[in-house]
Formats: sequence, C-alpha cells, structure tokens
Amino acid sequence: MTDNKKKGSLQGMFWTWVVLTAISIAISLWAPGRFMPRSMSGSMHLTILTIVIFSVAASPVAAGVYAAMVHLLRHNIHRGNDVPEAAEPVRENAVLTTSWVLASTLLTVFLLVWGLGALSVDDGSNGSNPLVVNVTGQQWLWTFSYPGTNVTSPTLVLPEGRTVDFRITSEDITHGFWVANMGVQVDANAGTVTEIHTTPNKLGGFDIRCTQFCGLNHAFMVTTGNVVTPAQFSKWLATQSQLQKA
Amino acid sequence: MTTTLEHATHAPSKGGGLARRQNFLTAMIGGVVFAWLGWFLSHHFLDSTSRNYNDLVTTSLAIGWIFGFWLGIGALNGPGRWLIGADHTRADDLYYAGENQGRARYWKYCTDHKVVGIQYIVMTAVLLGAGGILAMAIRTELIVPGNHFVNQQVYNGFVAVHGMLMILALIVAVAGPWANFVVPIMCGARDMAFPRLNALSLWTLVGAAGLLLSVLTVGSLTMGWVVLEPIADQAGVGMDLFAMSIIVFTVSTTVAGINTICTVMTMRTKGMTLARLPIFVWASMIAAALGLYAFPFFSLVESQTLMDRTFSTSFFVSSAGGTGWLQANLFWLMGHPEVYVILLPAVGALFEISSVMARKPVFSYRTAIAGMTGLASLSILVWAHHMFTTGWASTLGGPFMLTTELISIPTGLFFLVIIGTLWRGNIWMKLPTVWLFGFIFNFIIAGITGIYLSDIPIDNQLHGTMFVTAHFHYVFVGSVLFGAIAALAFWYPKVTGRYLDETMGRISFWLAFIGVQVTFLAMFISGLKGMPRRYSSYSMLFEHSNFVTTIGAYMIMAGMLVLLGAVVRSWSHGEPSGPNPWHANSLEWLVPTPPPLENFDVLPVITEDPYNYGEEMVQA
Repeated sequence: MTDNKKKGSLQGMFWTWVVLTAISIAISLWAPGRFMPRSMSGSMHLTILTIVIFSVAASPVAAGVYAAMVHLLRHNIHRGNDVPEAAEPVRENAVLTTSWVLASTLLTVFLLVWGLGALSVDDGSNGSNPLVVNVTGQQWLWTFSYPGTNVTSPTLVLPEGRTVDFRITSEDITHGFWVANMGVQVDANAGTVTEIHTTPNKLGGFDIRCTQFCGLNHAFMVTTGNVVTPAQFSKWLATQSQLQKA
Repeated sequence: MTTTLEHATHAPSKGGGLARRQNFLTAMIGGVVFAWLGWFLSHHFLDSTSRNYNDLVTTSLAIGWIFGFWLGIGALNGPGRWLIGADHTRADDLYYAGENQGRARYWKYCTDHKVVGIQYIVMTAVLLGAGGILAMAIRTELIVPGNHFVNQQVYNGFVAVHGMLMILALIVAVAGPWANFVVPIMCGARDMAFPRLNALSLWTLVGAAGLLLSVLTVGSLTMGWVVLEPIADQAGVGMDLFAMSIIVFTVSTTVAGINTICTVMTMRTKGMTLARLPIFVWASMIAAALGLYAFPFFSLVESQTLMDRTFSTSFFVSSAGGTGWLQANLFWLMGHPEVYVILLPAVGALFEISSVMARKPVFSYRTAIAGMTGLASLSILVWAHHMFTTGWASTLGGPFMLTTELISIPTGLFFLVIIGTLWRGNIWMKLPTVWLFGFIFNFIIAGITGIYLSDIPIDNQLHGTMFVTAHFHYVFVGSVLFGAIAALAFWYPKVTGRYLDETMGRISFWLAFIGVQVTFLAMFISGLKGMPRRYSSYSMLFEHSNFVTTIGAYMIMAGMLVLLGAVVRSWSHGEPSGPNPWHANSLEWLVPTPPPLENFDVLPVITEDPYNYGEEMVQA
C-alpha cells in the first residue's frame, strides 16, 4: 500500500532538527544585541534578555516544524500528473495530540511566568529619590520641563543612576513617547497624564521618537537626549536656569 | 426539489422591463445621481458657514451613493416586490439566478452562489491590486532616506488606504470566493440559504470599495487605517468617506455571515451531519460567527466618529467629555477578532488541501474544530494587547498578556493538524501544495514574533515600530495570502474547468516566497533598530534595511503580477482539468464542472465524511 523507503528515516529528521535548532539559537543570541539600540537602562537590558530567552525557547519548536517540513519534502513527495495512491489512513493519535497540547501549554506557561515576572520585577525605578520630568508632546515636537526649576528644554538631559519619573501629556492629539534606548514607551494623551519610570545606567546620547501616528510630520517628531553624571546634570540645570531667567 | 434545471432549454424570458436591464453600469449611474442628490439637498438646506457643513455634505453624498447604487443594481427589487404583494415568480427567480445569461450575469445582481463566488474572486483581485499599488508607492517613498516620490500628505493617505484596502481584501479573499462557491455544494445544497442576501453582500462590498477608493481623490486622510481619535478629528472630508465606507462594508459582512451560518445550519443534505462536514465548511462557519461578533463594533466606532464630526457629539473628543481610549477599545474589540475572521477560512482551506493532496484523512478532525473554535473564542478576549502602551488601565496588562499568550495553544493545533495530515502521506506536489508549504514556513515566523509582542516588557520597546508591521505582514501576506492562493489554485479547476498554470504559478510562488522573506525579515530589523511605523521618512540609521525591504516588496509585486497573468490566461487557455482533477471525495468535486445552476440533479445522501482516503483499501 505504501512504500516503506518513502518513509525516510526519523534519524535524518532528528539531525535536521538539531542543526536548525542550533542555527536558530545562534541567531537568537546574536541578532538582538547586533540590531537593537544600545541599552541604557535596566528595563532595556531586561527587554533584550527577554527577547533572547523567548527566541531560544522558540528555537526547538520552530526547528521542529521546519525539520518536519524538510522530512516531508525529502521523503513524501509525489511528483507528476498522475494521482498518488492513498496513504495509510491515520485519523487520530491520542498520545501525539495529548503531548502536543501539553507541550504547547507548558511553553505558554513558561512564557507567561517569565513575562509576568519581568513585569513585576521591573517598574524601572531603583528606589532612589526620583527626578520628575514633565514631557509634553505637540504636533510635532517634544518639550521637557523640570518641576522645581524654571528649565524647559527641547532635548532631554538626565543624570545617571537616578530614577526618572516621566509625567507625560499632550497639548493636542495623541503622541507616543518612546525612549528607544531605555525600553520605555507610553502614549502622550491630551487631558491626561501618563507616568512611566526608568533609571538610566549608562552615559551617552539616546533617541526619542514618536510612536503614535500624529499627522503630517510624524516622521520628524524626534529629539535626542543625553545621560550625564549627576554633577554635570546639576551644573547643566543651573546654567539653563540662569539662561532661561534672562 | 429534484427539478433538473441544467436541462432547461427555454431562452431568457423577455419582458420584465427596466428591472431586468439593471447591471453594474446602472448601479454606477444610480450611485452618482443619488450622490449628487445627497450633495444638492444638503448643500441647499444647510448653513454653509456651520462648522460641520463639509462633513454633513460629504456624508449625505456618501449615503446617496450607496442607496443609489443599491437601487441601480436592483438590490431593492426583490424585497420591494414582496412588500407590495407582487413577489417574484419562479421565472423571476431563475432570471435573477442568471439562467441562460452567459457572461452578462457577472455584471448583474445575480443570486447564483457560483456567480457570486466568481464576482468575489474579481473583487478580491481588484482590492489587492489597488492596495498593492499603494504598497509599491509606500515602499518606493521609503527606498532611500529623504526620498520624495510622493508628498508627505499624500503618503499618509496612501498608508491609511493601503491598510484598509488590504484588510477588506483579505476579509473576503477566502471567505468571499469559496464560502460562496464551494460551501453550499460541500453541504449538498442547491444554493445559499438566502440567495438575494448573497448578491447583496457582494454588491454592497463593491459600493463600499467605491467609497474607500474615492478617499484617495479627496486626499486628507491622515491617520492610518486604525484612524485613532483624536487625530481623526483633524482629518478632512476623506475621513467621512472612510467612515461611511466601513459602515457600508459591515453591512456586507453581516449579511454574508448570516447567510453562511444559515446555509450550513439549514441547507445540509440528508446524512450530512455536523461531524461529516468538510473542515472548510466548519472554518467558514466559525469565521462567519466571529465576524458577526466583531464587525458591529467596527460599524459602531465609525458611526460614532462620523457623528462626532457631523453632529458635534463628543464620544471621542476629550475636551468635551469624551475619550480617545473609548475609541481605541471599540476599535480593537473589532480589530483583533477580525484577524481571525481573516485567518480561519484560509486555515480551513489548507486543512482541506493537506488531506486531498497527501491522500490521507484530515488528522485529528475534532482537534481542528476545537482549535478553530478555541481561537475564535479567545480572540474576543485579547483586544487590549493593542493598548499596552496607551497608558489605559495598566493593571489589565497581566490579564491581557495571559489571554494573548494562550492564543498560541489553539494556533499550535493548526500545525499539529496540517503536519499530522501530511505525515507519511503521498504528497502530490501540485500548485496548491507548493503554497501550502510556503504557508507553513511563514506562519511559524508570524506566530513566534506575535509571542514577543504579547509580552509587555518587549512590547514597551517594540510597540509602534516596524517590528509590529513586519509581524502582521507575516500573518497577512506570508500566511493568509499564501493560504488564499493555495485555495485559489485548489478550487480554480472547479470554477473554470482548467488548471491554474503550474509553471507560472510556481514562478509566482518563488518570487512571492523569497520576496516575503526579504521584505519582512529586513523590516523586523528596521523595527529592532528602532524605526517607528508609519514614517514617511527616516534617518540614515535605517537605510540598509529599508532598501532591502523595498527590493523584496518589488519581488512580491512581480510574483503577484505573474499570478494575475496565470489566472487570466488559464481561465480560457489553461489545461483542461475535468470535474475532479485532485481525485477528491467532497461533494463539490462530484458535481460537473462548471457546476450547473442549482448544482445537483438529485440531492446526494451522505454516509461518511469526505476523508476516507486509503480506508476502502483497509476494509478490502
């Protein structure tokens, strides 16, 4: 009825699976660090780590499906215009179906536990006295002000190692406040203040981009920021305060 | 019930007056005349200095268009005649079913489900073509940083209309042609339960598409296809046309969904129990039911948007007590189930194809139904994952992360069923099978990248970036479109009596398959690097990945053009296939090709499901 040589060996499929899993894990370990923006906060570090973990966990699954595909393409293909003979009919396999459901459930539970864990561990703050920064979006620019001072700025300057408490709102329509290097993103909504925390842990420049479509110049609603040492930050704040008073 | 209509020899009955001369042309004329009337009346009676004047006039025009279109195509004839006590005679019904009218019936309000199915094929091609041209314009604008192929305002409108056209196209891509053409035959029915509603759903879609395309002529649609408030409030009259086109479209999906469910529930032939139904019928029915849940939200949210604009209600205007979050919630209550309204028919068709081509029964038929039902049920509980970063109800993040990740369990069952069915089969490598394998490859990537985005810490980084765009294009292009093309290649011989050209079909496959990987893998990289969505321009940082994406997009377009060429050419010049080219057992393959009006001489009696490949030999 069916030809045994066409079944191929499952050993071949196993090795295909091993190789594909290895390739996929290698890409998982390499790509996020290669392509994602430089991490400048604990949240961003956790985000990149989570992407790596999920990719590694998904690798054997995807590789399993691809190995099965390769196996089928190598051993079970019938070419030509004549209809192939019927194969051995298998309608059910209780063990396979049950294990499939169990395995996918376990994987889902793992993803969920990891995700909820990461969510609860990391609210972006490190317990230090937070620096409040008011963020205002409008078509098509960002304004940052530092309560307690008279300083407003079109670019964002932050001290290293101190939690920042962003209080975000909009003057007109909805914008998306996203610090691409710190893994924090939340909408700026008119009439509402949304809050988000992060703690910069690296010195250097970073990018802020709008992630909610906001009309004509959405693509140009970008600005930059800079993480400086606490001393430099105090100095900058004082200088700006003087300049803006004048 | 056993009239042999295909043997009827009488010529098209004469007379019937104007009602029998109605076609697409009279529909267009009716639409334009009534649109003008709507414009004229509102212009005449409204105060042109009022704030809402433009929106009211545009909305009246759109309402006039759709009523004129319905009148012109003849949608109101049947109910009208019933209302005045002059109901259709049998001869009238046969006339509306297109009896002996040749090609003319494809331009008419035809109630034959097979004609409607073919009209849906053409309509899908038109929508995909228009959306595809816009996609090419978008990618050309983005080929290098700071390109100025189209101006920014026009570009933003293109993004919005591209999105909406493609969503409409994919909602109907499998369900439109095949739930109409093959589902009634698969059930052993002579037509859909409500043939006139079937024609209504098709022609209403045509009217809605007309409105949507007209948005491009007035420009000023600047907010992406999700048209989130409050930015929609800033848009010009294009927004009114857009909202009206959606409202009209939901009428089409609603009547189509009711029709599919009623057909499957009431029109099955003797012995066709639910447990013997072909799996594609199940998929169509579940998708239709999910659509009946989802699309009313769409109608509602666009009606409210329209009322905010025309009557100064303030459902979504925060300065007057409304909230944009309400709009976002209502939109995504539609938006996420809608993804599965799109996906399920394609998956159902692929189950069918797997079984026929591997010459094996569908593996774990009941799990397949459970998976589809589970997916449909879960999908109504996941909408707020689109709102993780809006600032709305952050305590709901965990629960919605849970429901979203649970989606991967029923989705995993689809792989179990397809691979289980193919496993140890004698897989006939024909065009439908080629696209089936492409689907499996792409759907894995689509699914896994979806899991990333369901995780809130990751979503906080990748939400609103090209990563999301790449993810759902793997779903819609890589998976749904591939499934739709597999379905097209599979049932094409039943429609035309000819094979879809194998060589051109495979060239098209390789262009599209490689094109999808090039386009969207590079787009994932743009997203990881931090490029937000809906950008009309970008910095040098995203230069290379965007260039690669654009080249890939051209490849997909080339593939689709080759496919279009194959579809057109094979329709008249393809290799003849006979009535049952794949030697399949379900009912649509057992009737002649093309199936006669009302499908069956004598309704069949069913004693087993259509997947008994190999089993008769076991018994022997």
